[in-house]
Formats: sequence, structure tokens, C-alpha cells
Amino acid sequence: MNYPHWQLAIPGGMLIALVAVLHVFVSHFAVGGGFFLVVTESIARRRGDGELLSYCRRHSKFFALLTLVFGAISGVGIWFTIGLVSPEATSTLIHTFVWAWAIEWVFFFVEIAAAIIYAKTWDSLDGREHLIIGWIYFVAAWMSLFVINGILTFMLTPGRWIETHNFWDGMFNPTFMPSLVARTAVSFILAGIFGYITLPKVEGREKVARWAAMWMVAGAVVLPLGLMWYFSRLPQFSQFYLNGLIRGVRHAVRGGVGFTLAALAIALICGVWKPRWMRPGVVTALVVCGLGMIGAGEYLREFLRKPWVINQVIYANDIRAAQVEALQAKGVSRTANFLLADDVTSEAYGQNLFHLQCGSCHAAGGYRGMRQRVDGWDADFAADILQHIHMLRGTMPPYAGDAQDRKALGKYLASLNPAWQFQVTDANRLEVGEKVFGARCGHCHTVNGNYRPLRGAFEKATPAQVAEVFPALGDMSSNMPAFNAPADQAAALAAYISHEANRPILHTPIPEQMPTGSNHSQLMRPASPRQEVR
Amino acid sequence: MQTIPIPHVDPLPLPGPVWLFTALLLVVFTLHVVLMNSALGGGIWTLWNYLRGRHSEHPYSRRLANELAGMLPTFLAFTVTLGVAALLFVQVLFGNFLYASSILIGSLWLMVIPLVMVAYYGYYYFSYRAEKGTGIAGCVLAVSVCVLLGIAFIFVNNMTLMLAPERWLAMYRAHPNGWNLNLGERSLVPRYLHIVNGAIALFSAILAHLGMRKMKTDAEYGRWLVQRAALVFAACTGGQFLLGMWLLLAIPREIAMTLLRDPLAGGVFGLGLMSVILAMLLILLGSLAEKPSPLVHAGFGMSVVTLFLMVCLRYLLRLAYLKPYVDLGGLAVQPQVGVIVLFLLLFVGGLATVGYMLWLVAQGRRPVAAAR
Ligand code: HEC
Ligand code: HEC
Repeated sequence: MNYPHWQLAIPGGMLIALVAVLHVFVSHFAVGGGFFLVVTESIARRRGDGELLSYCRRHSKFFALLTLVFGAISGVGIWFTIGLVSPEATSTLIHTFVWAWAIEWVFFFVEIAAAIIYAKTWDSLDGREHLIIGWIYFVAAWMSLFVINGILTFMLTPGRWIETHNFWDGMFNPTFMPSLVARTAVSFILAGIFGYITLPKVEGREKVARWAAMWMVAGAVVLPLGLMWYFSRLPQFSQFYLNGLIRGVRHAVRGGVGFTLAALAIALICGVWKPRWMRPGVVTALVVCGLGMIGAGEYLREFLRKPWVINQVIYANDIRAAQVEALQAKGVSRTANFLLADDVTSEAYGQNLFHLQCGSCHAAGGYRGMRQRVDGWDADFAADILQHIHMLRGTMPPYAGDAQDRKALGKYLASLNPAWQFQVTDANRLEVGEKVFGARCGHCHTVNGNYRPLRGAFEKATPAQVAEVFPALGDMSSNMPAFNAPADQAAALAAYISHEANRPILHTPIPEQMPTGSNHSQLMRPASPRQEVR
Repeated sequence: MQTIPIPHVDPLPLPGPVWLFTALLLVVFTLHVVLMNSALGGGIWTLWNYLRGRHSEHPYSRRLANELAGMLPTFLAFTVTLGVAALLFVQVLFGNFLYASSILIGSLWLMVIPLVMVAYYGYYYFSYRAEKGTGIAGCVLAVSVCVLLGIAFIFVNNMTLMLAPERWLAMYRAHPNGWNLNLGERSLVPRYLHIVNGAIALFSAILAHLGMRKMKTDAEYGRWLVQRAALVFAACTGGQFLLGMWLLLAIPREIAMTLLRDPLAGGVFGLGLMSVILAMLLILLGSLAEKPSPLVHAGFGMSVVTLFLMVCLRYLLRLAYLKPYVDLGGLAVQPQVGVIVLFLLLFVGGLATVGYMLWLVAQGRRPVAAAR
């Protein structure tokens, strides 16, 4: 609200994720790969193994070109991106951790200098001195990971910092250590994966292939332990996301495990068993698996923090938790600095609100696009349900605006799709009912699933009995919007719910706990629980 | 009437005293500019001599281009590294202005990242191919240099826009997608030219200094380099006066008047003028003799001093621009003393480590640049 909102065609969070995934991929290689290089070099020198030494030399050139340029510059890219997408959060991080970053910068500086010198002095330094440079590189690189890890974990688990605002509490927060272990393990895996890129064609091929595989195995053994430790330290609301109710999270978990196992399998088969098979195509597959592993990991890390960017302090849409109440009371138009429309009743203003409040995670179309998610919403329903937006799967910040703002945004959301018109017949009644359910109830309920199941309420109810409940919905729970669907849709919905709730099923649904508006605040904001807007 | 929207400062206190952040900012920014001048000015020098050196009658140009080729990637590496530090500290003090202006030109601002990568890989490519003297290598170098010039332009846009909040809202409404430039700024062009020309000037001073060292191993080549660098330095510095005057005329009168009214700004400005004249005299006198004398080194030192003074002046002018909106003295401060001390210790340790590595390299059998 404080800053202009940079309007992108994709959600801002997605841009950050894209930059971050690429950077994390290379920067973790920069840590693990540095270790890999010095250890390999010192073994080669100790054994007088010329083949291995010439591999190190070639690998170090590749290493420098990738990490110094792409790795370092993409890191600056993250800085640029977060400043553009979440200036408020960036500012708070800077005010908390500028000295941590300054310290990290010192390590970064040493790291860059060492990497350049290491790659250039294979001929001019003797073995021992060259190794010293290599070790300096590795220590500096790992230390910069150490420091950044503190800031990154802080964002999800600020721990005691919330009360003390003490630097060290924020830095060495509850997930600092587990995350450090997991990241170090990842850097080993990546050291192995990238080790194959410069795999010698003939001499020393088998040796290097097996050696790189060992790094991957070592990393892959430690990684699950680190992750389990990490997950056990997560705040409750993050742990809920792992219960499988959210498709993206499900896919990410499976993908992360799958890619890691696939990489490991490739390493064991084509690295250890038959190094002959480690052809460029296979290496490419391996690199893709590595990227997939990082992508899944970063996706999860970002998702588990939703709806926050800094847990309990700033929401993902860059609105401070402390501002929400004022925004709900005064409205956005009287609070925001940079608005694109002056007429608060216009659709343009609604669109502006959409960008401000939802744009960090949604765009109108495309990935996590709004259009398909609000299909079937009319302006009134949209304005109403916005009050409960934080209830929809628990991943979203509360709506920060007044009634006027909700109306404008509702109007915009409704304008994304043509209004629904149905010819309800006996043949399509259930089908229409299912669609209506998806638009009006499915965001918060299932009938027979584990997500706020309705079966208990409607088992044995006839369509007419179900329909009788509709007018009361708005009063039934302070977290539910009022029901205002046209009569034909309501009838179809009632038929659908009644049909589903009376269908025989194998397992009775067990309601899963979800982070919701009310328990979000219990779980996350001990200081001043947000008032429910009514 | 629309009021001028200024994002409010962060609710958290500053984790260190303003003077410390200011001092760090001025120092790292000066170093950043020195390196940037080496990367950009050096690129221009290299390109010119590379093209010239393709004719056999200019062997020294060719040699110079080859020698610089290996250094360009390193210059760029440290330009970025020091730039990061400057960006860090400027955010602490002026974050609310910088974030806003960056967002307004967001799409271009973000383009800086891929552009730096392109320039950087181009420099690496050139450093591997320069000796062969191919046309493609020359083209790649030219692209890298142009890209760096483009990046400098984006930076100048942002750095001027952050000082002009009165332009923000209209600009945002025109293009909320970040495809803006601060073209309405009268000082944009002179400022840009001042900086690019200054980069060539400062790198010429660096080359004069390097040439003096070269004279120890190859007197004739060294002298050629010193004299050439000195001439370019003098020409560019002369140009710098004209551009500087244009710049002064282009900035708003009230701001320019601070140079007269504010004793600190006026003093820094006066010292800067004196030091640049001194630098020019020293370098010219030192280099024009039959055997260039160590005055050149002093001239090089003076030109870095000039740069530092100009950086300070730039900072003071920024304060003048933002005077209606900022009160650095009024910011809440809660120094994280322990962490600051740790940083300073590590900083010294880091410098020592880098020094130690350079010492190792110097002890090595062959110099770094030649060993690649
Ligand atoms: C913190 C990021 C974030 C913000 C901000 C956000 N959303 Fe969401 N939204 C999500 C996620 C994550 C999902 C669930 C995943 C999915 O549906 O793919 C979601 C899902 C939805 C859904 C579908 C819910 C369902 O269960 O099917 C709607 C509707 C929605 N969002 C509307 C909005 C609106 C309107 C806003 C702005 C007021 C908004 N969102 C702001 C992250 C966000
Ligand atoms: C914004 C989210 C939201 C939407 C949309 C929503 N509900 Fe609810 N509903 C809730 C919440 C929250 C509760 C309270 C559940 C609880 O306390 O466990 C609830 C409770 C109920 C209950 C009482 C359940 C019980 O076992 O006591 C019924 C019945 C119900 N909803 C039906 C519906 C129907 C039908 C629709 C669609 C027309 C709908 N809801 C849409 C959030 C929603």
C-alpha cells in the first residue's frame, strides 16, 4: 500500500520463484562444488594422480564460469526482484539484518576473489598453495550460505524475535540448524551432479564417475534427515499444508522425492555401475533432475510460508499484519500511496485492488490464474466471500479493505467470466450442481473428502431439505458467505449435495485440521489477533 | 489536488548509526565506481586498441588489448561485488525512495541482471579469444561494452528518479508495468555523459599508473602507454569540466545553489575542483617528460581522491534534493553493537585473507594474468 505495485503479467511471487530456483541451483553448487574441487584436488595431489588433477583443472574453469557469472549475478537478481515485488518486506529484512548481509558480503567478496585466483593459478602456484586458495574459497562460500540461511529461515520461523526483536534470536531461529544441514546436503548432491558435466572422455572416466556418485549418495543420505528435522520444527500452520489437501504441495512433495531418487538412481547405474553409460544425454537428465529437486524444494519452502512473507509480520502481498485493521476500517483508497484509479466504485479500481491484494500470488489468467478460480461468482457473492478469503485452504492473507473495496474487487472478479446461464434438465442437474458446488462451496468444503466434509450435515437429507438450509448459511458460521445463487442453480446444488451425501462410500471422512482465519491467528499471531470482519 | 506520495520509512529502527552507514556507503560506492570505471572505461579502451591493433603497424595497441582482455572479467566481477555492498547500504538510508523509483522502472531495472550476465560472459569470451585477434571477438567485446553503457543508462535513470517523487504518480499511472524511463529529467543526459566520460578518464589515469610499472620491464612500451593514457586522461578531464557545467545548469536552481550556500557542499566542490586540476597537472607533467616520472602515480592518486570527493558531493546533492522528504537525523536508531563489531572484525579479516591470497599469487612463479 506504501509502494507502487509493479504490475506484471505473472504473479510477483512466481517471478521471485523463477529467479530464486535458478540462483539456488547454482549457488548451492558453488558451495558443494567448491568443496568437491579442493577435496578432489588434494586427493589427486597426494596420490600423484595426473588424470584426476587435469579433471580438477578443467572442472574448475567450468565451475568459475558458472558460479562467478551466473551464480553471483543471479544472486543480485534476487535482491532486485524482492525489492520490486515486496519492497515492504525487503525493507524490514534490511532493517533487521543489514549487518548480517554486510557480513555475508565479506564472505562473498573473499569467495569471489578466491574463485578467480583458484581458476587462474593452476600453473603459477605450487600444489600446497593452490589448495590453500581452494580451502579459503570453500570456507568463505559455506559461511555465506551459513549467514543467508539465517535470514531465509527467519522468514518462516522468526521464533523469539517476534517478542525480543533481537538480532541473534532472529538469526539462530528454530529452523536455522535443520535448514543448514539440508542445504549443505543439497550442495553435495549438486557437486556430484555438476561433476559429471566435465567428465573426462577416456582417461580417468570411471574414477571420476564413481567419485561424483559418492558425493551424491552422501548428500542423499543426509538430506532426508535434515528435512525431517526441518519439518518437525515448522510452525503448525505450515505442517497442515503437508497433509495433502493442496494439490500443488502434493505435487511438489512427490516431485522433490521423485527427482532426487531419479538422480540417485542415475548416479548409481550410470555413475557407479556402468560409467560408460554416462553420456551427455544422461548427464542432461541428471541436471534436469537436480533442477527439479531444487524447484520442488523452493516451491515447498515458499508455500509453507503462505500467507506470509515474514511470518507474523508481513503478508505475501506485502501488507503488514499491523496494517490490516486500519485498512479494513479506513479502506484502501484512503491509505494507499499509489492508486491507478480515483473512482472507488469503478471496475478499474477493483482491478487495481486485485493487483495490490492478490497480484503477488495470482494473475488474471495463467498459473494460479484467477479466471478459472472465480468462475460462477457474481459480484455480490464475490464481495461477500472476500471477507473469508483467508479461509479458502488457509493459504491467503485476510482481505485488507473496507466494504466499498470489497464491492469494487467483487465487481472486477465477476467481470472475469461471463455470468452463468443454465438450462437445467433432469439429465444435467447433477452436473450443473457439481459446478455450482465448485463455485460456491468447494473452496471451503468437500462432501465426502477430508476437507471440511459436509456429509455429516446432509447425510439422509433430500434435495428439498438441503435447499432449506441454504438461506441460513450466512448466519451459520461467521466464516461462511451468505447464499445468493439463482433458484435454478440452488436447486441443482441441493440435488447434487443430497446425491453425494447419500452415496455409499468406503471410508467416513475424517475432517483434517486446516489453518483457518481463526486458528491462523492463534497459531501465528499471539500479539494481537485480527478481528473477524462482519 | 494530488499530494506527493512518499512511502513511509520502515517501522523498525535503524540497526546502526546514520554516520556509519553513510561512511560505509561513501567508501564502498567510491570503490564500486573505480571498478565500474575499470570495467566500462577499460572495455572502451580495450575495444579501441583491439580494433587499432588489428593493423600490424600498431603492435602496442594489440599488446595492450591482449593484456587488458584478461582483466576485464575480474573488473566486472568486483564492480558487481562492490555494487552489491553499495546497494545494501543505500537501501538502509534511502530504501523508501529507491524501492519506489526502482518499481516505476521495474521492467528495465530487472533487465540489468540478464544484461550484466551478457556483458560478463562476453568479457570472458573475449578474454579467451583476444590473442587470436578475430573479428568475432571484437564484435563480442563491442556488444559487452554497449550493454554496459545501457546498464549505466538504466542506473542513471533510477538514481535520478529516486530524487524526483513529484514525478512518480503520473509516471506510475502512465505505465504501471515498469516500462518507464526518467526522460523528463533535464539532468539525465549530462549526468549520463558525465559518468561515462568520467569512466574513460579515470581508467586512463589507472592506465598511466600501470604504464609506469610496465616501464620497468619494457621501457618503450611503458612510455607509450603512459603518454597515451595521459593524453586521453587530459582530454576526457577537459570534457568532464564542460559536461559538469552542463550538469550543474541542468539541475534545479535551488539544488545547485546548495553549492554556494552550504559550506560543506561548497567546500567539497571546491576541493574537488582543485584536486582534479592537480591530478591533471601531475599526470601531464609526469608523462610528457622524455622519461615519465613518478608524478604520474601522484596524479593517479589525486584522480581517485577527486572521485571520492565527487561521490561525497553527489551524496550531499542527494540530501539537498530529498530535503523536503527526509530527515536522516530524525530516524530511530538502535545499534546492533555486537553485530557491528563482528562485521568490522570480519571485514578486516576478509581484507587480510584477500591480501594473503594476493601475496601468495605474487610469490608464485608467474603472474596471475599470464597464467590463464
Ligand atoms: C499468499 C498468496 C496469495 C494471495 C495474496 C492470494 N491468494 Fe488466492 N490462492 C493462493 C493459493 C496458494 C491458493 C490455493 C492453491 C490453488 O488454488 O492453486 C489460492 C486459491 C485461491 C482461490 C481458489 C480457492 C480454492 O480453494 O479453490 C481463490 C478464489 C482465490 N485464491 C482468490 C484470491 C483473491 C481474490 C485474492 C486477493 C484478495 C487472493 N486469492 C490472494 C494464494 C494467494
Ligand atoms: C468461505 C468458506 C466457506 C464457503 C464458501 C462455504 N462454507 Fe460452509 N462452512 C464454512 C466454515 C468455516 C464452516 C464451519 C465449519 C466448522 O466450524 O468446522 C462451515 C460450516 C458449514 C456447515 C455446517 C457444517 C456442520 O457440520 O456443522 C454447512 C452445512 C455448510 N457449511 C454448508 C455450506 C454450503 C452448502 C456451502 C456452499 C453453498 C458452503 N458451506 C460454503 C466455510 C464455508
